[in-house]
Amino acid sequence: MMTASRALAETEAERALRIIGSMPAFAWATDAAGRFTYVSPNTLAYLGTVQQDLDPLRDEDEFGWRRVVHPDDYDHVAARWRHCLQSGDHYDTEHRLRRADGAYRWFRNSGRPSRDSQGKITGWYGTTLDIDEQKQAEAALRDREHELSQLVDMVPSHLWRLSPDGEPIFFNKRMVDFLGMDVADTARPGITRLEAMIAAGVHPEDAAAFEGTLRRCLATGEAFAMRYRLRRADGTYHWMSSRAEPLRDQDGRIVQWYGLCHDINDQVHAEETLRQSERRLLQLVETLPAMIDCAAPNGEPIYRSQQLREFLGYHLEELDGTGKSRLASTLEAGVHPDDLAGVKEKYAHSLSTGEPYARRHRLRRFDGEYRWVETRAAAMRNAEGAIVQWNVICLDIDGEVRAQEKLRLAQESLARASQAASLAELSASIAHEVNQPLAAIVANSHACHRWLCAEPSNVARAKITVERIIRDANSAAEVVSRIRALFRQSVEPRTSATLGSVVTEAGNLMAEEAARQRVRMEVDVERNLPLVAFDRIQVQQVLVNLIRNGIDAMNSAADDRTLGIRVCRTGDVVQTEISDCGRGVEFPDKIFEPFFTTKEHGMGMGLAICRSIVESHGGRLWVEKNEPQGARFIFTLPIEVKAAQ
Amino acid sequence: MTTDDHIVFIVDDDLRIREALSELLEAHGLRAVAYGSAGEYVRAEKPDIPATLILDVELPDINGLELQRQIAEGDHPAIVFITGHGDIPSSVRAIKHGAVDFLTKPFSDDDLMSAVQAGLAQDRQLRLERTEIAALRARYKLLTPREREVLPLVVSGLLNKQAAAELGISEVTLEMHRRNVMQKMAAVSLADLVRMAEKLQIPVAHSRRVGEE
Repeated sequence: MMTASRALAETEAERALRIIGSMPAFAWATDAAGRFTYVSPNTLAYLGTVQQDLDPLRDEDEFGWRRVVHPDDYDHVAARWRHCLQSGDHYDTEHRLRRADGAYRWFRNSGRPSRDSQGKITGWYGTTLDIDEQKQAEAALRDREHELSQLVDMVPSHLWRLSPDGEPIFFNKRMVDFLGMDVADTARPGITRLEAMIAAGVHPEDAAAFEGTLRRCLATGEAFAMRYRLRRADGTYHWMSSRAEPLRDQDGRIVQWYGLCHDINDQVHAEETLRQSERRLLQLVETLPAMIDCAAPNGEPIYRSQQLREFLGYHLEELDGTGKSRLASTLEAGVHPDDLAGVKEKYAHSLSTGEPYARRHRLRRFDGEYRWVETRAAAMRNAEGAIVQWNVICLDIDGEVRAQEKLRLAQESLARASQAASLAELSASIAHEVNQPLAAIVANSHACHRWLCAEPSNVARAKITVERIIRDANSAAEVVSRIRALFRQSVEPRTSATLGSVVTEAGNLMAEEAARQRVRMEVDVERNLPLVAFDRIQVQQVLVNLIRNGIDAMNSAADDRTLGIRVCRTGDVVQTEISDCGRGVEFPDKIFEPFFTTKEHGMGMGLAICRSIVESHGGRLWVEKNEPQGARFIFTLPIEVKAAQ
Repeated sequence: MTTDDHIVFIVDDDLRIREALSELLEAHGLRAVAYGSAGEYVRAEKPDIPATLILDVELPDINGLELQRQIAEGDHPAIVFITGHGDIPSSVRAIKHGAVDFLTKPFSDDDLMSAVQAGLAQDRQLRLERTEIAALRARYKLLTPREREVLPLVVSGLLNKQAAAELGISEVTLEMHRRNVMQKMAAVSLADLVRMAEKLQIPVAHSRRVGEE
């Protein structure tokens, strides 16, 4: 029994040691002076040391375990241990221990004194627990907390927290800096913190809305969002955009409100500036004395200015739902039926090519009156060159068009009047040309009659007068036939030709006359003259007239009897010049008047008719001084405009 | 057949007209001289005998009407205008300024000849008057200054006594001056003297009727 109990007792002691040795902790015991009486084997194995090395060194101040405790921790651990050894206080420290492989881990060391019946400390028992993982977790948590608080302070926004009833609990640093006050500063007597904060910070004009909105959110739990002006510490108000949402617990009760608020002052001002400039632009467009229209790239109108809306008398939206496009509806309802096809075609062309559009047409006003408008459109393109919009301006030019029409009618009637006037001139001129020989014939006839009736009759004189009668009658007949030729040809269609050949013909016709008068003709016709539409015979007559005038002008004058004929193109006319070296023209203003002549024998129809002919061709005839002497008659004929243009 | 007691001037730029008119006038026994322009006519030496001017309105240098205006100052023959296209304002103006007639071409023999004859008659009459006035002026020049003072008083019908009082001389002296005036002016009667004074355009300075007004 004894053996058994002793064996049992031994077994108990061994078991205790085994238990201690296999516990996931290190166990130790010291005497009252702190010398180790026991160190569990797992401890020694962990530290890679022996018990004796842990005891105090010869130098009393140093402990043997100094070598296994982290140098940063040793001083306070040693100080605490000494204090406990003297005072008997509980020993609790946390420090790092060096493992056998040299790695440090955190441990919690706890020791309790054991006392005898007199209460005198007999020794210490303690455990050392590995708390390294716990420590690491704590450190990580601390780091995260630090980062979070840094984040909260560093985000370029205001962060705040409210209690469920709306009392401020927390402002982040930026908010504190902005407001110049912290949550604690909102504690004012008689009012809530929220009221105090609103009074101090929110713009008076926004305060009521702010409080109302916030209170409603607090009551209903809806998210809070609004813009308001917040007073900065320097007294200036800044626009803020603020949002807040509640944090709820598992039961759905609101625990806190988290708010975020950022300074949107610059943005608000920029927006305001933008809005103002947009408003100004809109006002500009709306008040411009023109009708403005904007259309999508496909031509569909998207905007119309007030002037255009008023002119048309309906709104753009009224066009929708008709089944047709807005553009088609607009054109069909507004453009005059006679102009519609042209307008549509031109629009389609511009829309497909992107070319600017410009057209005059009649547009129906709200009251049903068609008025002339001029519409111009140009494409607005983006940076890539793609059309993003068509901008259209439409001007009411009804007054101008009607005035132009009136002017055109007046010009037409004026042209008719001047045509009538030149007809009158022509007939007076013809009468003059015919009356001269007729008067001579009548006078000669009477003279002849008297010679024959005389006693005795003077046959010789009678014969002379009869010869003159025949001569003058022929001359009158010639005039008449020339006039008939003139009128016959004037109704014939004009042919397109170059003037060169006619000039040559006229020159040939007059060559004999020129030679007789010892006049040299110099003809200079520019090559490749453009075509001119003219009546060959009429223009030939003008040329012959002018050439003969030139020859006659030199018959009494000058050693240099040169007649120059020059044909050249000048701008959009062909200009013909006939210059002589005669005495020049004494009355340049009068020579084109009918009946004005400086010559003994009026030739043909005279310069008045030449001018009539040239003007009927749309040209001009005038006279200039020839240098160094003489006159230069110049007439122009317009170059034929191609029918295709 | 033509005589030298008259001449007809023709101014027309158309040779045919000049020829024909000259021929016609000669056939009527009238002497004619033709000019092609106003300038030629003005510069020409012209005999101082009764004349008529047949003047074309449309002339190369100056218009016939303008020539009429230019020569209106001096003595000039009666003018018969001819024109290729007679317009009323021109004819009215020409006649107003003393033209005998205004004929539109072609004109008849009778019209021309009667106008020419009327022109010659008018010119003869004018010449006669001009001659008479020249003679009167010559006689008037013979009067002394006192006699020139007496003349208007006498023709005004003043009595000798009144005229003498007017001049501050005696009635006898006035009667002497009056006799001399009658003699020098070759007046056969007071009425004759009055007619002469009228032609000389001597103003009647003192009328008995002045006081009656």
